[in-house]
Amino acid sequence: MAALQEKKSCSQRMEEFQRYCWNPDTGQMLGRTLSRWVWISLYYVAFYVVMTAIFALCIYTLMCTIDPYTPDYQDQLKSPGVTLRPDVYGDKGLDISYNVSDNRTWVDLVHTLHTFLAGYSPESQQDNINCTSKEYFFQEKFTAPNHTKFSCKFTADMLQNCSGLVDPNFGFAEGRPCFVIKMNRIVKFLPSNSTAPRVDCAFLDQQKDAQPLQVEYFPPNGTFSLHYFPYYGSKAQPHYSNPLVAVKLLNVPRNMEVLIVCKILADHVTFDNPHDPYEGKVEFKLKIQQ
Amino acid sequence: MVKKTLEIYSVELSGTKDIDQTDKGDGKEKYRGLKNCFEPKKNHQKEELKKELDLDDHKLSIKELEKKYGTNIITAYLGCVLALVVILTGIFAYYQEAKSTNIMATFNKMIPQQALVIRDSEKKTIPAEQLVVGDIVEIKGGDRIPADIRLLSVQGCKVDNSSLTGESEPQARSSEFTHDNALETKNIGFYSTTCLEGTATGMVINTGDRTIIGQIASLASGVGNEKTPIAIEIEHFVHIVGGVAISIGILFFIIAVSLKYHVLDSIIFLIGIIVANVPEGLLATVTVTLSLTAKRMAKKNCLVKNLEAVETLGSTSIICSDKTGTLTQNRMTVAHLWFDNQIFIADTSEDHSNQVFDQSSGTWASLSKIITLCNRAEFRPGQESVPIMKRVVVGDASETALLKFSEVILGDVMEIRKRNHKVAEIPFNSTNKFQLSIHKTDDPNDKRFLLVMKGAPERILEKCSTIMVNGQEQPLDKSTAEAFHTAYMELGGLGERVLGFCHLYLPADEFPESYSFDVDTMNFPTSNLCFVGLLSMIDPPRSTVPDAVTKCRSAGIKVIMVTGDHPITAKAIAKSVGIISANSETVEDIAKRLHIAVEQVNKRDAKAAVVTGTELKDMSPEQLDELLTNYSEIVFARTSPQQKLIIVEGCQRQNAVVAVTGDGVNDSPALKKADIGIAMGIAGSDAAKNAADMVLLDDNFASIVTGVEEGRLIFDNLKKTIAYTLTKNIAELCPFLIYIIVGLPLPIGTITILFIDLGTDIIPSIALAYEKAESDIMNRKPRHKKKDRLVNQQLAIYSYLHIGLMQAVGAFVVYFTVYAQEGFKPSILADLRVEWENGIVNDLEDSYGQQWTWYQRKYLEWTGYTAFFVGIMVQQIADVLIRKTRRNSIFQQGLFRNKVIWLGIASQIIIALILSYGLGSVTALNFTMLRPQYWFVAVPYAILIWVYDEVRKLFIRLYPGSWWDKNMYY
Repeated sequence: MAALQEKKSCSQRMEEFQRYCWNPDTGQMLGRTLSRWVWISLYYVAFYVVMTAIFALCIYTLMCTIDPYTPDYQDQLKSPGVTLRPDVYGDKGLDISYNVSDNRTWVDLVHTLHTFLAGYSPESQQDNINCTSKEYFFQEKFTAPNHTKFSCKFTADMLQNCSGLVDPNFGFAEGRPCFVIKMNRIVKFLPSNSTAPRVDCAFLDQQKDAQPLQVEYFPPNGTFSLHYFPYYGSKAQPHYSNPLVAVKLLNVPRNMEVLIVCKILADHVTFDNPHDPYEGKVEFKLKIQQ
Repeated sequence: MVKKTLEIYSVELSGTKDIDQTDKGDGKEKYRGLKNCFEPKKNHQKEELKKELDLDDHKLSIKELEKKYGTNIITAYLGCVLALVVILTGIFAYYQEAKSTNIMATFNKMIPQQALVIRDSEKKTIPAEQLVVGDIVEIKGGDRIPADIRLLSVQGCKVDNSSLTGESEPQARSSEFTHDNALETKNIGFYSTTCLEGTATGMVINTGDRTIIGQIASLASGVGNEKTPIAIEIEHFVHIVGGVAISIGILFFIIAVSLKYHVLDSIIFLIGIIVANVPEGLLATVTVTLSLTAKRMAKKNCLVKNLEAVETLGSTSIICSDKTGTLTQNRMTVAHLWFDNQIFIADTSEDHSNQVFDQSSGTWASLSKIITLCNRAEFRPGQESVPIMKRVVVGDASETALLKFSEVILGDVMEIRKRNHKVAEIPFNSTNKFQLSIHKTDDPNDKRFLLVMKGAPERILEKCSTIMVNGQEQPLDKSTAEAFHTAYMELGGLGERVLGFCHLYLPADEFPESYSFDVDTMNFPTSNLCFVGLLSMIDPPRSTVPDAVTKCRSAGIKVIMVTGDHPITAKAIAKSVGIISANSETVEDIAKRLHIAVEQVNKRDAKAAVVTGTELKDMSPEQLDELLTNYSEIVFARTSPQQKLIIVEGCQRQNAVVAVTGDGVNDSPALKKADIGIAMGIAGSDAAKNAADMVLLDDNFASIVTGVEEGRLIFDNLKKTIAYTLTKNIAELCPFLIYIIVGLPLPIGTITILFIDLGTDIIPSIALAYEKAESDIMNRKPRHKKKDRLVNQQLAIYSYLHIGLMQAVGAFVVYFTVYAQEGFKPSILADLRVEWENGIVNDLEDSYGQQWTWYQRKYLEWTGYTAFFVGIMVQQIADVLIRKTRRNSIFQQGLFRNKVIWLGIASQIIIALILSYGLGSVTALNFTMLRPQYWFVAVPYAILIWVYDEVRKLFIRLYPGSWWDKNMYY
C-alpha cells in the first residue's frame, strides 16, 4: 500500500501531465494517437447524429399527432385565470397605490391602461365582425377568410366611462379609478350554461358596519357577452381579443389600504382553488392617498 | 426548482440575500420593470421577514398561510432528506470504526488472574499485575505464565508456545541458556503462554507492555489501519464524479454569466448542477451491497468484520499463510510407518477413517501392541459419543497421536491396556530418550511378561540385537540396519518426528509371575531387544488445503508460507500442500541433486526458496524485494512476529494486495498490517481475531478461496452498480443545462431527482450485487491495484456519453409530449423560462393562444417533472437489465436467473406509481397524476438502450482486443 500513498512532487505531476498531453514516444496526445482521435470523434459524431435524428423523428411524429386547432388535453385549464390592468405588483400580488393630488404617482397607471386599450381601438379591431347576439357564437366551419373563423369585435368604447376616451385619466385624478378586468382565453371553453359571466367586485374583508364597495361596471352589469365564446384558438381566430370588463370604484376610502376582490360569476368558472389566487378571481390592494 | 434551490442554499447565500434586501429597501420602482424570475421569491422572503416584525399573519387567509407554509415544508423536507443521508452515512462509518477498535481489550483478557510469588521468604498468591521485575514466581502444569520469566529451576516443565511462535509441539524448558534468540532459548517462559506439565521457578524479567507478548500487542496496535483497496477505488470514483460535477458546474456558471444571468442565479445553477451530478444513493448502495456479500460469506464460514474487506480478498495477489492451524490441523498425527523394510503411509486426513496399509503382517500385530501399551495418554472420560479424533486427551501431543491412531485401528485401547496389565513403567525423559513399560500379556497361556519400549530411533536401535520381519525375529545385520537408517532419514526429511519401537518377551523362567520389577535399579534387560518398527508423526495439512492452494494458483494468487516452525517441517508441509509444487526445487535441492556447492547453483533455476528468520534478519529490503520477485514459491520459517511484518511490507512494496492468515498472537501485527488479515475462528487467539478483518469460522483455508471468489464477484458487480447509478446522472443533469441555455421550463426538479437517486434506483442497484459471475472469475489474475480501477474511463464515458445521453433524449421526448399535448409545443418553449417562472405573468399564452396563470403553469411544470421522472425510470429498467453483464449477452447470462433484479424493477415501478398516483395530490412533492399513456413514451428508448448495449457486447465478444473492445469494455 505504501506505493499508493507515496506523494509525488508537483514537478513530477506536471511532467506526467505533460507526457499525457503529448507523448513523443508513441505519438499519443491525451492518451490517443491522432488517428485514434479521428476514429473516436467520427464514432461520436455518427452516434450523436443518429441520436439527434431519432430525437427529431420523435418530435416530428409528435407534432404530426397534434391537432393544430385544439390542444389534446385541457385538464390543467379547467377554469380561466383573471388579470387586472393596471398591473403593478407589490410584495405579494397586485398592489396599487397612488396619491390623487400628485399626478406623478398615477400617470404611469393611466399610461398602462392606455397602452393596454390601444389593442382595442377600432383600427386594431377592424378584422373582427360586429356581434349582437346574446348567445354563444358557435362556428363549426371555417367561414372566415384564409380558412379561419370569425371573432367578435370588442372596442374600447364599450367601456364607456372607463374607455379613456371620455376621461383620459380613467378616474384616477378624482379618486374613482377604473380597473380593467380580463378573463384568460381557453380554447372551446364555455363559461356558463345560459347567462353571461359577470364580474363582481367587493372588499375582501368586508366589515358588517362598513359601507360596501360601490362599483360601476362597463359594459353595464359587468358581463362578458356570450358571443365572445367559445374561443377557437389562435390559428382559427388570429384576431380574437379577450372581452373586457371595466370597474370604476366609487367609494374607496382614502389614505388606507383596502383589499378588493373581483370574481367572475359564471357556472363553469371556479374561484376557490386554494393554490391559485388568479383562478376565476383577481385580488388587489388599493391605497388612494389624498 | 431554482426557487427551491435558492431557499435551500439561502443559509450559505444569506450574505448576498441581505444585500439584495437592502437593495429592495431603496425603492419599489426598481423591480417594476425587472423581469426576473426570482422576484416573487425575493418578495416572498422579504415579506416573511416583515411578517415576523409586524406579525400580520392573522390578516392572511388560511389558504394563504397554507401556501406559505407549504413552500416551507418543501424546503424543510429536502433539507431533512439530505441531512438524513449524511447522518446515516456518518453513523454507519462510526459503527464500523467502533467495531475495529477493541483490539486492546482482548490483550487485557489474557492477563492471568493470580501468581504464586515468593516474597519475604513466604509464598504468596498475588494478582499477576502486581508482579514486579525481580520477583520469584512458581509455576506448575496448567498455569498461565504471569510474566516473562527467566527460569531458575525446572522439573519436567513443558510450555505451549504455539500462540507466540507457532510451534505446535510443547516446548521443553530448562534453566540452561541454549540459543541466542530469546524466543528459542529454553530458559525463558513467556508471558501468557501455558505451562502444560511439570513445575518451574523463575525470576520475573519483564512485565506488562515490556513482555514479548506486550511488545507484539503494541506492535499490532501501532500498525495503522491501511486504506482498503475498495476505499481507494471509491475515493477515485468520488474524484471522477466530483471532477465532472465541478467542471460542468463551473463551465455552465461561465456560460450563465455570459448569457447575462445574475451572478447569484448563476451560483445557484452551479450548485444545482453539482447536486444533480452527485449520486446520493450510491454510498448506501455500496454499503448494502458489501454487507449482503458479507452475509453470504458468513454462510460459507467467512465472517467479515470489516465490510470493505469483502472486496479486498478479491483483489488479493499474495496470501501469506501461517502454517500451524491454518494449513495444518494443529495436532500431531501418525503419518508414516516403517516395518518389514517397508514404508507405509497412514491416513492423515481429519477423520483418519481410511487406513489402507497392510495390517496382515505379524510385525504389525506386535507394533500395534507396543503403540497401545507403551503410552500414558488417556481419553478424558465421558466422551464415548464424540468421534475419536475430536476427543480430548490427557497427555502430550505425540502420545495423543499414537493413542488416537491405535484407537481408530484397534478399537477400545483402554480395554486392551486393562487386559495387558501394566506392572512397571519408566516415563520418557530427555536423558534416556526412551519410554518403557512392562505388561502381563492377555494370553492366559503365555506367562511371559512383555517389555515394550519406544523412543528416539537411534537410541532404540542401539538396544536391539534382532529385528522383526514378517512376524519373524531375525538377527539385526548390517543391511537391515542400513535399511533402517534410510527409512529414518527419509521420514526425518519429510519434517516428521520419528519414533522407534521395540519389544522383548521376558523369559518366564527368569521373570516369574511374582517377579517384582524395580524401575530404579532396572532389574530387567534393556538391551538385546527386538526392533519392530518406526512410526513418524507430523502435524498434517488439512485435507482441503492442497486443493485450495491449487485454486489460488490458478487464480493468479501467490501463496507464501510464513511460519515460526522449523524449516524442514515447513518445507515438508509446503510440499505436501503444494505451496512448493512437486517439480520445483530450492537452491539447496539443486545443489544436492547436482552434488555441487550451494553457491555454484544458478539462482534462476530455482523456483522455490526456503528462507529462515536468521537469513531474513541479514537481508536488506532490496534483497527481500528481489527474493519476493524472483521466486514464485517461498517459505519463510523460524520467523518472529516482527519479521512477519517485514515480509508483509515487502509484499506490499511489490504493489501486491496482501492477505495474511494466522491464528496466534504472534501473527496479529502481520494480520493488522496486511491489506486483509484473516484469522482462524476455532484455533485462533482472540488477539488474532481482533486484528483480523475476516475470521474463518471453520479454520478452513479453502474458505479463503470462496472469499476470493466472492470478492472478485463483488468488484465486478460494484462496477455494474456504479455504471447503473452514473448513467441517470446525465439524464438528471441535461435538463438543467438545457434549462440554462435554451430557457425551457425546468424539466425536472431537485426533489424529483432525489426520488430517483434515493427512491426508485436503490433496490435495482442493490439487486445487481446478486448477479452471478459472467465467466470463471477464478481463472483470471487478480486485478492490478493501479490499472484495473473500479471506475475507469470507459465506464464513465459509456455511462455518461452513451447510455446517459440516450436516457436524457428519451426523457426529453416524454417531457415534450406532455407539454405539447397540453398546449405548449416545443417551438414555443424555447426561451420561455423567464416569463414562465415570473409570478406576475398570469396570462402567458401557449401555442393555441390559451392563457395560463402562474399556478396553472407550475402545475404543468410538475407534470413535466413527473413525466421526466417516469421517462428516466422506464429507461433505468433497461439500464439495470443491460448492466447484468459487461461482456456476455443478457441471454447468455439468463434473463431470469437473478430474481432480485426483477424485484428491483418491480420496486422501481411500484415506487413510481405510488409517487405519481398515491402522492400526486401532495403539492409539496411536486408529483402529479400522470396520464397512463405517458408511462410508455420512453419505452422505445428503453428498447433502443438494450439493443445498443447488446450490439456493443456482441462486438466486444467478436473482436477481443480491438478498438471497440478497448473503448467500449468497462
